[in-house]
Amino acid sequence: MDLEATRQGPAGRLRTATARAALGASALALMGCDGIQSALDPAGGDALRIYRLALVMTAGGCLIFLLVTGLLLYAIFAAPERRAWLGSRRTVVIGGLAFPIVVLSGLLPYGLIVMRDTDMPRPGALPVEVIGEQYWWRVTYPADQERAAFATANELVVPVGRPVTVSVTAADVIHSFWIPNFGGKIDMIPGRVNRLTFTAERPGIYRGVCAEFCGDQHARMAFDVVALEPDAFADWRDGQAKPAREPDLPDLARGRALFRAGGCGSCHEVRGTEADGAFGPDLTHVGSRRTIGAGQFPNNVGTLAGWIANTQHIKPGVRMPSYGSFTGEDLRALAGYLESLK
Amino acid sequence: MTRRRTGQVALMLAGLLAWAVQFTVIYGATSTLCGLDRADATLLGTGAVQAVILITTFAAFLAAAAALSWSLRTQRRMSGQAAPADRFMTQAGALIGGLSLIAILWQGLPALILPACA
Repeated sequence: MDLEATRQGPAGRLRTATARAALGASALALMGCDGIQSALDPAGGDALRIYRLALVMTAGGCLIFLLVTGLLLYAIFAAPERRAWLGSRRTVVIGGLAFPIVVLSGLLPYGLIVMRDTDMPRPGALPVEVIGEQYWWRVTYPADQERAAFATANELVVPVGRPVTVSVTAADVIHSFWIPNFGGKIDMIPGRVNRLTFTAERPGIYRGVCAEFCGDQHARMAFDVVALEPDAFADWRDGQAKPAREPDLPDLARGRALFRAGGCGSCHEVRGTEADGAFGPDLTHVGSRRTIGAGQFPNNVGTLAGWIANTQHIKPGVRMPSYGSFTGEDLRALAGYLESLK
Repeated sequence: MTRRRTGQVALMLAGLLAWAVQFTVIYGATSTLCGLDRADATLLGTGAVQAVILITTFAAFLAAAAALSWSLRTQRRMSGQAAPADRFMTQAGALIGGLSLIAILWQGLPALILPACA
């Protein structure tokens, strides 16, 4: 038995329990302040500006709330002769008119300046095109002087220190593109191209999400964002622009044969092979991606096999049917082949 | 309603009317120029969108200031026997005029800070 709590009595125990609960809740809330998907852990200038604006607004709002609550309590509990000044015309004019005007006149230009400096077009920005589809992301890197254009899916790889301009649109319904660590959201609207510019200033792995309800699996429409040093990014881009590698083991060759026989190429493209489908994600280098299913599972042979066999069970409503007719051995070979496409 | 009363109501609401006209002109001109892809057009040596916003804001500000000034002057001249309705409309006109001045400035401020058609 907790002797200290016993000595405190019921009121003391209640206070202790409340304090512990508050401490636990605060710790839990603070755990969400940094991480791969957090607007409270900015990794770029735009996100930092938005973060500071949020801090100023939140802190200011809290202070004003405390002030008004204090005055309210004073008006209720103070002696009538002491609280009389609260009802004077002067107090009403200052507190109800002058104070809000001064505060809002400061916040408005500040917010406008943040808006002006955020998402500014920048010369020399890396262009990337992203199309939102139910429930995944088609990502295309246009050709530059050294490399051909290539497509990938559910991952955005960017160089640290260089601005990136993402042109976004949607193929079916309205989606919204949001990488909390890098900046604000932008709507993806069918038939219209919107642009968002940001600069990653810290290498690392982050997470982007769809921020506009787009259907049953909206909550499972995420993507990985990988910020690489410029040299590593150039290597990655070189690798992605190349066609898929030839299978070098009999089991992988069998996986490729199954991929061909199963008709996977009618929906998916694997550059360098006859698979040239454009309906689903490009799988040329699917093995190099961190996750599958639009940021849902780590990418390995097991999850790939599970995804192929049970797509509709794992993510009901996606366009890909479940291929439950494969034997376990075939699934391992097929998933192994896909995992080898680095 | 008598003619005098109609005039009083119009003057009481003059600040709001100036604000409404400013909003309509700013919104319409910006939408039209940006829709026609004329963001780079110039007027009086500055961007056309900014120029329209600044001129409209200045005109609306003057109108609201005049309404405020009229209300304050009338209030000062008013004798103790003035009808309650007259007293109310003059005080309301002063308050509306003052608040409209601030609203007009807030509405014009983005033109100085944000790029047109962004």
